[in-house]
Amino acid sequence: MRNVLTLADKELRSYFSSPIAYVIIGLFALLFGYFYYAYLYIFIRSSAEMMQGGGRAPNINQQMIASVLQNSAVIILFVMPMITMRTYSEEKRSGTIELLLTSPVTDVQIILGKFFGAMGLYVAMLAVTVLYIAILFWFGNPEWRPIAAGYLGLLLMGGCFISVGLLISSLTKNQIVAGILTFTVFLMLWIINWIGESSGPTTREILNYLSITEHFNDFARGVIDTKHLIYYLSFITFGLFLTAKSVDSERWRG
Amino acid sequence: MIEVHHLTKRYGRVTAVDDVSFRVERGEILGFLGPNGAGKTTTMRILTGYMPATDGRATVAGYDIFDKPIDAKKRIGYLPETPPLYPDMTVREYLDFVARLKGVPSKEKKERVTSVMARTHVADMADRHCGKLSKGYRQRVGLAQAIIHNPEVLILDEPTAGLDPKQIIETRELIRGLGGDHTIVLSTHILPEVAQTCQRVVIINKGRVVAVDTPDNLTARLKGAETMYVQVDSGGADAAPVLSALPGVVRVAPSEQRGTLAGYEVESERGRDVRRELARSIVNRGWGLLELRPMRMSLEEVFLQVTTEEIPEETPTDPGAQGSMDPRTEGEVPVA
Ligand SMILES: Nc1ncnc2c1ncn2[C@@H]1O[C@H](COP(=O)(O)OP(=O)(O)OP(=O)(O)O)[C@@H](O)[C@H]1O
Ligand SMILES: [Mg+2]
Repeated sequence: MRNVLTLADKELRSYFSSPIAYVIIGLFALLFGYFYYAYLYIFIRSSAEMMQGGGRAPNINQQMIASVLQNSAVIILFVMPMITMRTYSEEKRSGTIELLLTSPVTDVQIILGKFFGAMGLYVAMLAVTVLYIAILFWFGNPEWRPIAAGYLGLLLMGGCFISVGLLISSLTKNQIVAGILTFTVFLMLWIINWIGESSGPTTREILNYLSITEHFNDFARGVIDTKHLIYYLSFITFGLFLTAKSVDSERWRG
Repeated sequence: MIEVHHLTKRYGRVTAVDDVSFRVERGEILGFLGPNGAGKTTTMRILTGYMPATDGRATVAGYDIFDKPIDAKKRIGYLPETPPLYPDMTVREYLDFVARLKGVPSKEKKERVTSVMARTHVADMADRHCGKLSKGYRQRVGLAQAIIHNPEVLILDEPTAGLDPKQIIETRELIRGLGGDHTIVLSTHILPEVAQTCQRVVIINKGRVVAVDTPDNLTARLKGAETMYVQVDSGGADAAPVLSALPGVVRVAPSEQRGTLAGYEVESERGRDVRRELARSIVNRGWGLLELRPMRMSLEEVFLQVTTEEIPEETPTDPGAQGSMDPRTEGEVPVA
């Protein structure tokens, strides 16, 4: 555990000692802010209309926050390759992997260190967006539980992306190649359910199941379904497991 | 302290290390010598647990590096061929990280970092980013990280590569100082370095061990007959016929002539010391004996001889046994 912390701490520091962390956080905050503003605008207008018509005020959780979170899932998909692309590639290119692999730590500890390091940066990204959401509490009274569920979903979905990103980064010495490959794979995992729409029911079922973002929809609506929870957790575990295999086979090849 | 048994490493069809065995005793400094591509780095990477061997066994500090890697790695300090530095960290941050990674208790950490920086002369760069260091300083920081957890075994891949002459001397002194408490294996291309720092040498060529001995024995053992260098002032006369007439002398070759001074290389029968006879006959003739010393083959010559020698007699079966062309690997189980 101590080793995992040491390694995660090193990863986090390396993100923040180069501009990359600030660029990523800034970019994400900006894009999130855009969707936030857009949906808030729509929400205010539609609620004003509904109030005028004598109806009840619409639910801000369902009408606005859920949509913002769903859209941020797509932003994350674009931003995440920048976080994971250099995790292994750079260590392999610069030879620092030789330090890690000859230190008294296991491969799994190294992988978990990198995973939690990337998660740390991801949490920092999400933390900025929590500020936006907090403003809503200032002016209205949204329910906090669905929001918490949404963020739990974001965390888990991000964890899946990170585990895939680590795996791809462990396959190449070139971080640009790793970044592009990761991005391609993320896109595929995202659009897979569009392909599903136009195919038979069984195929659609399977493709929807494989799509990482599809499983986020319930979380965004504030529902924690164990089905999705298990899906995400197994996905992360499997991704990290494959990364461990990749690192180990790299060892044998030399 | 280190035991290597029949270690073999193949990269696909390239045999980088071929049935290598040797031992290093506690406190000993062993030099690992060989031309480019001989398999030095590969052997060291196996010993440090960076990669597994295709075949064979290695024990470091009493732990099998394949079965008990964590226990073994705790006791090994390793300086890879390229110092494994993180460019974004300062030297102090980096050493602090390595100390934690190697399991130095947090109470001792700060003190270890400071003392190691002083020992390797990097204290003046403590707050400089590793990416902005010169090659020599990188090498020193690399050495600093190798000794940070005070390991029993040090494995140093070309520790003096890229250093200035003053630093080379300081680093050799540092390494010699570490010997005794630590068991050290170091690789190098610089032959005098081996003679100066190492108690024993393993010469490796094309993945095979071709000689293991002390530097002195190697230089003495490998020449066929004993050769003396004699310098005489014979007043212009040729001393060669006189010297070759002496009993036990096999051959006399004039080496240089300056005025009335003449130098000769005198080869004698093996195991026979002809120095007394040489001296007596020269002095008896009224000539001046200016110099008389045994000529040793330099380590360079030894090195060239053992690494360019034809296939050793023990393996007459495969005249083509050179790296990837090794016919014995053909038809065997393919290795991933
Ligand atoms: N990762 C690798 N994949 C394939 N072949 C390799 C690999 N690493 C080394 N080799 C080969 O193994 C052989 C031994 O290489 P090694 O690096 O151990 O030599 P060395 O003695 O350290 O040489 P140098 O003095 O140049 O550092 C060489 O023929 C090399 O080409
Ligand atoms: Mg080498």
